[in-house]
Amino acid sequence: MNPKHSFPIKRLKIAGQPEHRIEAAPAPGEVAAMPERIPLLKARLRVDTGDRVKIGTPLYEDKENTDIVFASPAGGQVVDIRYGPRRVIREIVIQTEKAEEHEDFGAPPGAELSRTTRPRLVQILLNAGMWPLFRDIVYRSVADPAETPAAIWVAMDNLDPFHPPPEIYLSTPADLRQFKTGLHALNILCEHTHVCKSAKSADLDAEIENRVTHRVRGAYPAEDPGVVHFHNKTTTSENRGWFIRGQDVVLLGEFLETGSFPTRRIAAVSGADIESRYVSTRIGAPLHTLISGVIEPDKYRWVTGGLFRGYSGSIKSYLGLYETGLFLITESNKRELFGFMRPGTNKPTCSRTFLSIFNPKPLSMDADMHGAKRACVNCGNCTRVCPVNILPQFTYKCIRAGEIEEALSHGLLDCVECGLCSYVCPSKIELCHTFQETRHAYFRERI
Amino acid sequence: MGRIETTLRKIFDIPRKHFEPGGRLEKLAPLFEAIEDVVFFPAEATRHRPLVRDSLDLKRFMSMVLVALIPPLLFGIYNTGYHTRLASGMSTNLISTAGTGLMIVLPVIIVSYAVGLFWELVFAAVRKHSISEGFLVTGLLFPLTLPPTIPLWQVAVGITFGVVIGKEVFGGTGRNIFNPALTARAFIFFAYPAQMSGDAVWVAVRQNAAGAADAVTGATPLAVTTLQAPFNHIQEMLASKGYTLASLAIGNYPGTIGGTSAICAAIGALILIAAGIASYRIILGCIAGLLATGFLLNLLATPQAMPWFSVNPVYHLAAGGFAFGAAYMATDPVTAPGTDRAKWIYGFLIGALTVLIRVVNPAFPEGVMLAILFMNMFAPLLEYTEIRLRLKKRIPHV
Repeated sequence: MNPKHSFPIKRLKIAGQPEHRIEAAPAPGEVAAMPERIPLLKARLRVDTGDRVKIGTPLYEDKENTDIVFASPAGGQVVDIRYGPRRVIREIVIQTEKAEEHEDFGAPPGAELSRTTRPRLVQILLNAGMWPLFRDIVYRSVADPAETPAAIWVAMDNLDPFHPPPEIYLSTPADLRQFKTGLHALNILCEHTHVCKSAKSADLDAEIENRVTHRVRGAYPAEDPGVVHFHNKTTTSENRGWFIRGQDVVLLGEFLETGSFPTRRIAAVSGADIESRYVSTRIGAPLHTLISGVIEPDKYRWVTGGLFRGYSGSIKSYLGLYETGLFLITESNKRELFGFMRPGTNKPTCSRTFLSIFNPKPLSMDADMHGAKRACVNCGNCTRVCPVNILPQFTYKCIRAGEIEEALSHGLLDCVECGLCSYVCPSKIELCHTFQETRHAYFRERI
Repeated sequence: MGRIETTLRKIFDIPRKHFEPGGRLEKLAPLFEAIEDVVFFPAEATRHRPLVRDSLDLKRFMSMVLVALIPPLLFGIYNTGYHTRLASGMSTNLISTAGTGLMIVLPVIIVSYAVGLFWELVFAAVRKHSISEGFLVTGLLFPLTLPPTIPLWQVAVGITFGVVIGKEVFGGTGRNIFNPALTARAFIFFAYPAQMSGDAVWVAVRQNAAGAADAVTGATPLAVTTLQAPFNHIQEMLASKGYTLASLAIGNYPGTIGGTSAICAAIGALILIAAGIASYRIILGCIAGLLATGFLLNLLATPQAMPWFSVNPVYHLAAGGFAFGAAYMATDPVTAPGTDRAKWIYGFLIGALTVLIRVVNPAFPEGVMLAILFMNMFAPLLEYTEIRLRLKKRIPHV
């Protein structure tokens, strides 16, 4: 199979592509777990401030399924637990010790992997807090371990600007070996394991290239596992699926080989005023450790997890479990004189209304709405960019009219929350946010 | 530039307090905001995902339509001035012609914008929302579809009807069924036919000019039918009145202010399509529908039929306000269907209806306005049908 998607988003040339090198970030004195960033999770703490934890000790669990636990990314003392509005657990901060201890999960399956049964493997992964690496393709929440998915999708690339490509996180022979071990484990969990890779990313060793089942051409979000899944499913029974990021497959392999919870991460660090490159760090690292050089931290939005899907934070934030990219963008609070009349040779856009379409240079993005909220004029830009053939403007109107069933028939559950509809909307309507909230509300009511 | 910016900043900052909640001019806040936003582009940070947004906003979107309206506007000013001076027996050099044209056209545009803006402001103040940029387009489209002799009070009444009944009673921008500019024109057309149709309204004669009265009445090309052309001789008949295909396309004949020139409308359409603002599907659909129906009627033409049955379909393309309507009115995204195939059908039927109204109905020499309004009514149905068909193809989640 060779699905090809082409979205007008390809017109967007974003500055800040990291240089092709990996730099080691300094070891952080504290790391944090962020339960708030796990979609749809109702977290319950398993530790308290002052507790000593090892790497892999369960820090919190899913209230609705207490089998799903989230492991500590560091060994040391829990120094702070920060809450957000409505007591949502925002950060569990752990001060790391010099010699971090690892939680003992018993002997790793290692070479015995082929003889491990599916229920046993699920149990091992749940115990070690590795399970949250598997995510549900419909709701993008943590996968339900009781479910048998129609397929597991391995998303090797993440084209949401910017993330490390496979050739970066699979740069050593050990990485490659662990990736293969991880794939092996996936095959035990589900016989239909699809590996999708962007046609643009560099070739890896032949054995892995042979395992690639889907090569995706096109810009973000063509490579998204939800998008590829959507374009490949043929029946209702195939709706349910799981996905896992390529880098997480390496972690899975590392866990199965060593038996201890893996903490390493390679993250892309980008921004107009900083050195854009890849850094090797750890899960939950404080964001300031990823930046080299002196900058004025409050000038920026510290966006982790990509410009489209990411979260905004500040210098005080941490790298979440799923986040492997940091992008520093500015928030322009200056009102531009005659802004809408300017030729706009350096304004990033997917439209053809600015002269920037003739500008071959990558343009820097900022965290600005670039306009005020208006009524929908039915321009259809959202429909043109939707990767899963939803008609966002009509689906949005269904939701606003309270017709949730109608919105579901429009394919609301196929929505991959890529954010392109909100991105292109000239009326600056929060389409994606509305879809996400409605999907979440539906998920909660369904249970 | 820096100094101008600071000065402008001050101009807005000093009276701002009066427009803020509790201020004396609180009700006029939408007007203040609208003017300030034109000068200083709003800068608001993103709050939800995605954290970046496109540079295109509705202001830019709508101002692209204004850019595309420049060719018909300029030509319209010149053409109006030219025919006025010609009929009034005055010299027709470029500068004085443009001057005369401006003297006639500018008041119409100013009244349209001022009265329309007033109503927009009333509704924005009551509903507590911002003034939508869509009005910039309506306020300019409407005057361009009027004859130059239109009394200014009728312009005011027309734009009032267009904005209030055509748009605001439905809930404002984005919710209207009919194109407000065309609704305004249709209202004037039916309410004041003496000033909107016939042979005498298309040239604004300067009364003080000597010996002009005879030259001013003349049938517009589409009204030539009333003269009962012999079978298969309509083109010669038109030519004898000075309407060749070329002159129809250029549009240098008396008619509505901006709607006579097919070439100018085509330039505008190209700008809109190149900028991705107007749907090429609608425009091509209109042209296809017009030519197909025109050709079909050719086949049905007999000596007993009405004379326009036998005209070469290309004449339909060039004559009257079709090109203007297809480029700027039919492509209004709010009142057109929002799905791709429905756009083709919508466009095709506009073209077909235009020809039918022109040829078959002797009461209305021009049909594009009614064709578009009629199809506006059917746009939701077309859209609904296509959505149903699309949803059938989806794999449902139980």
